[in-house]
Amino acid sequence: MAMFPGLNVPANSGSDHEMEDAQDLDALTLAKSYFDLKEYDRAAYFLKGCRSQKAYFLYMYSRYLSGEKKKDDETVDSLGPLEKGQVRNEALRELRVELSKKHTAGELDGFTLYLYGVVLRKLDLPKEAVDVFVEGIHALPLHWGAWLELSNLVTNIEMLKSLSLPDCWIKDFFMAHMYTELQMIKEALQKYQNLIEAGFSKSTYIISQIAVAYHNIRDIDQALALFNELREQDPYRIDNMDTFSNLLYVKSMKPELSYLAHNLVEIDKYRVETCCVIGNYYSLRSQHEKAALYFQRALKLNPRCLGAWTLMGHEYMEMKNTSAAIQAYRHAIEVNKRDYRAWYGLGQTYEILKMPFYCLYYYRKAHQLRPNDSRMLVALGESYEKLSQQAEAKKCYWRAYSVGDVEKMALLKLAKLHEQLNESDDAAQCYMLYIQDIFSCGEQLEHAEVSTALRYLGQYYFKNKLYDEASLCAQRCCDYNDAREEGKALLRQISQVRDQIETPSADLFAPLSNNNTPVRRVSPLNLISFTP
Amino acid sequence: MCSHAVALLYEMTASKITLPERRRLNKLILPLQQGPDLTLGQFLKTVEECCPQTAYAVKLRLHEMADGELKDMEYFFSTLPTPFTAFDTEAYKTSVVGLFMRHMLLAYNKLSFSQVYKLYKSLQHYYHSHYAKPMDGQVPALVADDSEMDLTSIEDTVGDRVDKEELDTPLHESELRSDNTPSRGPLSQKQAEYFLARQAYLLKNDENKALKPAALQEELNNMLKFNPDFAEAHYLNYLNSMRVQDIFLSAHSLLHYFDRLILSGNDGKSNGDEGYGRSLRYAALNLASLHCRFGHYQQADLALQEAIRIAQESNDHVCLQHCLSWLYTLEQMKGSDSTVLTEDSVKMAAHFCLPYLASLGIQSLVQQGATQGKTAHKLMDALKDTDILHWKHSLSELIEISLAQTTSIWRMYGKSTMSLQQAQLLLNMSSLEPVNFGVQQNNTEAFAVVLCHLAELHAEQGLYGAVSEIIQHLKEQFPPHTQHAKLWMLCDLKIQFERHMNEGKYHLAEPLVTAITALNQLEGLYRKAQVLKAVNRSTEAYHILQQLQARCEKTKCTEMVIRVMLSTAELHWESSGFSTALPVLLQALALARQHHLQSLASETILHLAFTQLMLGVPEQALNVLHEAVEPILAHRAVMDKGCAMLLAARCQMAVAGFKPNRQGQADLRLAASALDTLNEAAAYFSQLNCKERLRDVHYLQAQLHRSLGQILESNKSAMLFRLLDQELQSPAPPVSMRL
Repeated sequence: MAMFPGLNVPANSGSDHEMEDAQDLDALTLAKSYFDLKEYDRAAYFLKGCRSQKAYFLYMYSRYLSGEKKKDDETVDSLGPLEKGQVRNEALRELRVELSKKHTAGELDGFTLYLYGVVLRKLDLPKEAVDVFVEGIHALPLHWGAWLELSNLVTNIEMLKSLSLPDCWIKDFFMAHMYTELQMIKEALQKYQNLIEAGFSKSTYIISQIAVAYHNIRDIDQALALFNELREQDPYRIDNMDTFSNLLYVKSMKPELSYLAHNLVEIDKYRVETCCVIGNYYSLRSQHEKAALYFQRALKLNPRCLGAWTLMGHEYMEMKNTSAAIQAYRHAIEVNKRDYRAWYGLGQTYEILKMPFYCLYYYRKAHQLRPNDSRMLVALGESYEKLSQQAEAKKCYWRAYSVGDVEKMALLKLAKLHEQLNESDDAAQCYMLYIQDIFSCGEQLEHAEVSTALRYLGQYYFKNKLYDEASLCAQRCCDYNDAREEGKALLRQISQVRDQIETPSADLFAPLSNNNTPVRRVSPLNLISFTP
Repeated sequence: MCSHAVALLYEMTASKITLPERRRLNKLILPLQQGPDLTLGQFLKTVEECCPQTAYAVKLRLHEMADGELKDMEYFFSTLPTPFTAFDTEAYKTSVVGLFMRHMLLAYNKLSFSQVYKLYKSLQHYYHSHYAKPMDGQVPALVADDSEMDLTSIEDTVGDRVDKEELDTPLHESELRSDNTPSRGPLSQKQAEYFLARQAYLLKNDENKALKPAALQEELNNMLKFNPDFAEAHYLNYLNSMRVQDIFLSAHSLLHYFDRLILSGNDGKSNGDEGYGRSLRYAALNLASLHCRFGHYQQADLALQEAIRIAQESNDHVCLQHCLSWLYTLEQMKGSDSTVLTEDSVKMAAHFCLPYLASLGIQSLVQQGATQGKTAHKLMDALKDTDILHWKHSLSELIEISLAQTTSIWRMYGKSTMSLQQAQLLLNMSSLEPVNFGVQQNNTEAFAVVLCHLAELHAEQGLYGAVSEIIQHLKEQFPPHTQHAKLWMLCDLKIQFERHMNEGKYHLAEPLVTAITALNQLEGLYRKAQVLKAVNRSTEAYHILQQLQARCEKTKCTEMVIRVMLSTAELHWESSGFSTALPVLLQALALARQHHLQSLASETILHLAFTQLMLGVPEQALNVLHEAVEPILAHRAVMDKGCAMLLAARCQMAVAGFKPNRQGQADLRLAASALDTLNEAAAYFSQLNCKERLRDVHYLQAQLHRSLGQILESNKSAMLFRLLDQELQSPAPPVSMRL
C-alpha cells in the first residue's frame, strides 16, 4: 500500500476551495492526528460533515484503511479452514458505491480517483481500475502512488503501449519501472541513463533501480558495484537490500553479507528485507533451519512477499524436505504466477525425486517465462537426456549456448552427448567451442572441465591423424592433474607414430615451450585447424 | 452451521412429541449430522415433514436468537447441557447424539470472544438470508413483524442489504454473476466437499446432469479463490478441463492437485507405502493417462516409465500393476501387439488379488483374441468366467463392459440376433451401483458402444425411424465434446452413407467420406473406394483398394481385408474378369471361415455364386447359394437378403434354360418359383427404397411373365420398370455386371 500522500500538496486555487479548506481546517487537523495514530474510524467520524476535497479524501481513505485493518484482524481468528480466504474488506462495497456516484458526477480529484482505483482493484475489477488510475494520473501526474498501482495492473507491453498517459517527466520513471517489471532490461537501462543525464544523477532511487535491473539480467558485478555505491550514499536504506544480499549470496561473499545483515538489524530488524538478508546469510553458512525460520518471519511480516516464499523453498530443498519445498514454491506461484524461480524450483524438486518427465512441465513453464535464460534450458536438456530424448536434449543445450550460457555448462553437456552418440565431429566441435568459451571469459570456473575437453580433442585429432593438433592438446592436458597421465601417454603414442612415418617434429614443440599462457594458444590454433 | 441441528435436538428433548413423529425425527438426525449443510428453508421443510410442531419450535428458537441479541445465543448455549445430563434421556453422554452435543459445546466454549460474536453474526446471516429471499407464495408471517426490529437492532445487516440492491445495477458483470449463482460466495467445508463429490460423480456417470463446463469452471475458480489449499477442487478442475479437451488447463490442474496433495500431506516424510511417495507415483501415472487420453503416446510412454520406475523403487505392487495395465493399453492404442504383456498383467493381478485389473486384462485379451481369430468358444468361455468373477465382486462397470463386448463379438461373427439380445440385456439391466443424485450410471463407453450397435442393427433392417431415435438419444447422452462422442458420430455417418449408397444417391454419399476419414482413416478409404466404384471410376478405386489391403494386412484388420477383397472382386466383374475374381473370392472365403466371420463368409459365397453364374455354371451357383441363403435370411441386412433373392432368381432362370429375348423351352415350374423369389426380392428392395435394384427386378419379372404367357402381369411389370427407368434417368447398367 502506498504511503499516505500527505496533505501539504498545494490545493487547487480558487476562493471556494480556500474557503472550504479554512472551514474544515480544525476538523481536518484533528482527524489527521487520529489518522496518524491509526484510529481510522475515529478520524472518519470527525470528518463526516466536511466538504473540502482534502477532508473528503481523508474521510474515505480512513474508512478504507479501517476496513483493511479489520480484515487483517479477522484473519487471525477465523472459524474454519475454508473461511480463511473469505475475509473481505467489508467497507469496499460501500466505498465503491459512494465513489462511483461522485465519479460520474465528476467530483473526484486526483487523490480520490487514486483511492477509487485502489478500491476497484481490491474488488477484482482490473479493467475499471486501470481506467480510473489513468484518469487519476491525468488529474495529478505527480502522485507516484497512482503510477505504482497502475504498474501492478499492466501485464504486457501491448497493454502498456495502449495506455494514454500524460506527457510529464514522471512518465519516464514509470516507463523505466515498467520495462524492468516486464523484463525488458535494455530499454529500462536506457531510460534510466537518460534520466540520470537529465539531472537525476544523485537520485538513490534510480541507482537502486539500475542495480535491480542489472540483477535481473544477472550482470552481477555491475549490480554489486552499484549497490555498494548506493550504500555509501544512503547508508540507512533498507529497500532493495534483499536483492543486494541475493547478489552477495550468489557471489558467496560471506563477510560482506554478514556485515550487511548486522547493519540492517541495527537499523530495523522488523522489516521484510532485513529478514530476507538474514535468511540469505544463514543459508550461505549452511544453517538452513535458521534460514527457513527467518524467511518465515519475513512472510509473517508480509504474506505476499514473493521472494521469501521462493527462498524458503530453496532452503527446504537444501534440507531435503521436498514436500515443504513444494508447498513453499506453490505459495510463491500463487502470489505471482509469473515467478520463474518458483517454477524452476518445483522442477528441481521433482528432479531430485527422480521424476524427470514430471519435472519437464515445470521447467517448460519456467522457460516460457524466461525464454532467454540458459539455466532453464540446461535443466530441460538434462531432463530430456535422462529420458533418452537425445534429439530434444541437443536442441536445448545448443539453444542454451546460443542465448548466452551463464554457467558455461551447456556446451560441455552437448559435447558429452555427442560423444555418447558417437558423433565425434560434432563432439569435437563442441569441446572446442567450450574451451574457447571458458578461456574467453577469463576467470577460472570451479567446475570447468577443460581437461576432459582437451583429452577428447587430443584423441580425436590423433584418430584423424592430425598429429600437430593432437600433440598440442596432449601437452595442454599435462597442465591438469587429472589428465596428466593420459596426456603423456598420448604424446608418447604420437611420437611413436611420427617416428614410424619419419616426420621431424622437433620444430613444432619449440615454440610451444616458449609460450606459457595456454589461453592465447589454444584458441587461435583450434580456430584455424578445425572447421567442420 | 450446526446450530439448527442443535436447536432441533434441544426442542426434541424439551417438548412432548408423539411416538411416530419422534421416530421420523430420530431418523432425520443422522443425515443432518453427517450430510452437507442445508439452507434454512430446506432444513425447515424436512423437519416440517416429520413434525410441524417441532419445526415451528425450532423456527421460533432461531428467530429468538437471530433477531434478539448476543445474549440470547449465549443463553441458549448455557441452557443446552441441562436436558442431556440426566441419566434417563435417550441422548446419553456416549450415544451418537450425546457425543455430538458434547462436541458442539466444547467447540463453542473454546471460541474466543470475537469468534463468538462472529458465530452470532453468521447465525444472523444464515437466518436472514432465508427470509431475505422468501420462497414464492409462502411469505413467512414472522418476517412482516420483524422488519421494524431489523432496522433498529441490527443496523449492519439491513444496511448491507440496501446497499446490495443499490449496487446491483451499475455493477460489473463478473461481480453480478457471482452474486446470482445459486451457491454463491463462500461455501462451508462440508458444502464444498459435497459439491465436489456430487459434480465428480455426475461427471463420471451422467455428464449431462453435471454443471456445464463453463459454469463448473466458474464455481471452482470461486472456490479456489476463497481457499487455494482445497486440493480436490483442482482435481475436479482437471476432470472438467478434460471434458472440453483442454490439454493445457487439465495438465496444469492435475499437477497442481498433486502438488497440493503432497503437501496436505499424510504426515510427510515417509517415502513408503503411505505418505507422499505414494501420491508421487500416482501423479506420474495420472499424467501418463492424461497424455494417453489426448493421444500423445510418446509422452504417455515416458510418464508411464517414470511411474513404473518409482513404483519399482518403492516396491509398490499395486501401483505397478496399474502401470502394467496402462502399459498394455498404451501398446494397444499404438497399434502393436500386446498380448504377452496383457497375459502377464492378468497373471500378476490375480496374484496380488486385484480382481478389477485382472478381469480388465482378460477382457482386453478377449478383444485381441477376437480380432486375431481365436476360436469363438474359448473367448466366450473366458468372458463367462470373468462374468462370474464380476458378479461375485459386484463390479458393475466390468459387467457392462463385458456385455458390450459380447454384443460386439456376436456382431462381428454375424449373429445379429444374439448381438441384439445382448445389447438389450445391457440396456435393460438395472445397475448394481447405488443410484445417487437420481442418476443411473449410463454414460459409460459400454453404453455408447451398445447403442451404436443397436442403431446399426436397426439400420440394416431398414428401420430408419428407430435409428434416428437412437442416434438422437446418443447425441443427448453423449454430447459432441465428450469422450465417447466419436463412436456415435462414426456410426451415424456410416448409416447415412449406407443409406445413400443403397438409394443410389452417390453425390450425397461422397461428402460423408471426408467426415468418416476424419474419424477413422481406414474406414474412410474403404468408403471412398466404394463411391468411386459406384460412379465407375474403377482405376482410382482399384488403386485405393490395393493400398488399403496392404495397410490392413499390416495391422491385421481381417474384417476390412475381406471387405476389400470383395470390393476388388466386384471391380473384376466390371471388366468381365470373372475368372480372375474367383481366386480373390476363395481367399476371402478362407479368411472369413478361419476367423468365424459368418456374415462376411455368406456374403463371399454370394459373390462366388454370382461369379459362377456368370461363368455359365448356374446349377453349381444355385447349390452354393443354397448354403448361404439360410444365414443370410436369418442374420443379414435387408439389402443382402434382397440381393441373395435376386441372385437366386437369376440362377433359377438360368437353370430353367431361360434366355432373354428368346422363349426357348423353359422349365415352367422353375420359372414360376423364380417369379416367387423375385417378388420376395422386390419386397426387400422396396423396403429400402432401392430403386435401381427394383428396376432390375421388374425387368426380370416382365420377361418371366411374358415367357409364362401372363401378358397382363408382364405389362404391369414393364410399366413399373418404365416408370423407375424414367425416374432414375441414368441408364441401367447391364444386368449381368453386378450382384
